[in-house]
Amino acid sequence: MRNFILIIRRFFNLILFAGLEIICFILIAQSHTLQGDDIVSSANTVTGIIYKKQSDLFYYISLGQMNDSLISENVRLRKLVDRYKTVDTLRDSTVRRQITNTDTAVHIVKYAEYVYRTARVINNSVEGVNNYITINRGSADGIAKGMSVVSGTGLVGRVEFVTKHFASILSILSNKQQVSAKLKDGTFKATVWDNERPDQFMMKDMPPEAKIKKGDSVVTTSFGNTFPPDVLIGTVTQVEINKKNGKQQLYLKPATNFRSLQYVYVIENIMDPEKKQLEEPPVKK
Amino acid sequence: MNAYLKNFLRFCIIVILQVFILNRITLHWFAEPAGALFIPFIYPLYILLLPFETPVWALLFLGFFLGVTVDIFMTTAGIHACATVLIAYLRTNVLNALMPRNLTEYVNQQPSVKNMGWTPFLVYSGFLILLHHIVYFSVESWSFAGMGTLLLKIAASFITSMLFIIVYILLFTRQNVSRA
Repeated sequence: MRNFILIIRRFFNLILFAGLEIICFILIAQSHTLQGDDIVSSANTVTGIIYKKQSDLFYYISLGQMNDSLISENVRLRKLVDRYKTVDTLRDSTVRRQITNTDTAVHIVKYAEYVYRTARVINNSVEGVNNYITINRGSADGIAKGMSVVSGTGLVGRVEFVTKHFASILSILSNKQQVSAKLKDGTFKATVWDNERPDQFMMKDMPPEAKIKKGDSVVTTSFGNTFPPDVLIGTVTQVEINKKNGKQQLYLKPATNFRSLQYVYVIENIMDPEKKQLEEPPVKK
Repeated sequence: MNAYLKNFLRFCIIVILQVFILNRITLHWFAEPAGALFIPFIYPLYILLLPFETPVWALLFLGFFLGVTVDIFMTTAGIHACATVLIAYLRTNVLNALMPRNLTEYVNQQPSVKNMGWTPFLVYSGFLILLHHIVYFSVESWSFAGMGTLLLKIAASFITSMLFIIVYILLFTRQNVSRA
């Protein structure tokens, strides 16, 4: 027993060092699963308040930039409104459009499922392997884990941690989550981020028969249950064809500018619990 | 000033510098426009500047606490803590190798340019900062797949971190000491 205590006293520093490193690696390993909750995260109350103060300080400096982004979004919305103005709403147009253009009819029914909430970005990162965005809304404003987040121009990410007044979003600049995406002609595949640039995504191994051009837009699908369908992810900038098997590799430019993100919309899917209940396998007795 | 109070103030200053100013700087060195991004780290300097006679267990706990504090702000879940604990453990060995006398003989002193000279101090800080960056970026990328990018990140971040550390030393060192 005495020898044992002597050994511990002799190697106390080494044991302490190993213990602390093991704690660190447990923390890191936990953060590498999508479901595991980070114990240390910037969504907690203390850092949330500090980042809010800092954001308030920089808010006035970036007002011009914010104004520009709001104006450009207004333009986009006005264009959208103009497009729907041409439809005659008085003569049961929904039924007629359902027959002539099934796609649009589905579109209208689907958007009624969602509630949009605005939030301001108070902390943002683009340089890590998994990037998080902290916003100034939390569970008190109705934000919950798993809700999807979009900006004025495109997809941003998914709510990961929520406290009472803050929430942190895992952005799609992450190798933890892949987004199920589809092209104009209906071929779908997950997007991959190669960790290197905040303005480039990839879609690997597209089938050779898919016809893809530079400038094609890529949107989300409803398969993953996480994001609402038909939200713009980005546009194709480059198509590479593998000479061996004819498969194509796409490079995308994301529609959202992650560096100058100022405000986002958090989307709640009201129909989601009902859908999940239906898709859940029946409980065995 | 009391040594404990002085080191506590330095902890606050370095964390504030790191979190609110340096984390906002993203470097585009050697990369295409809008290429790989990385930030300079100055916070390991706190561990490097603790007094000579600090025991190893205290260094380890302080390193862990400092790392976790930075982790909380950057949502990196223990990666900074891991790298900082490593350099806190190796600090005493590196100092023993570089200093002419036994470390216990330097009472009430801390590693600085004044009592070490420029070359030993730069070797001391350069070695530990490089080690910190290698561990941090390897653990962050969690694989050796993008070896080129990893080395580029380590090199560019290391050079800028050292520049910032030299600037910090020049700014926060008293030129004429009239103390007993």
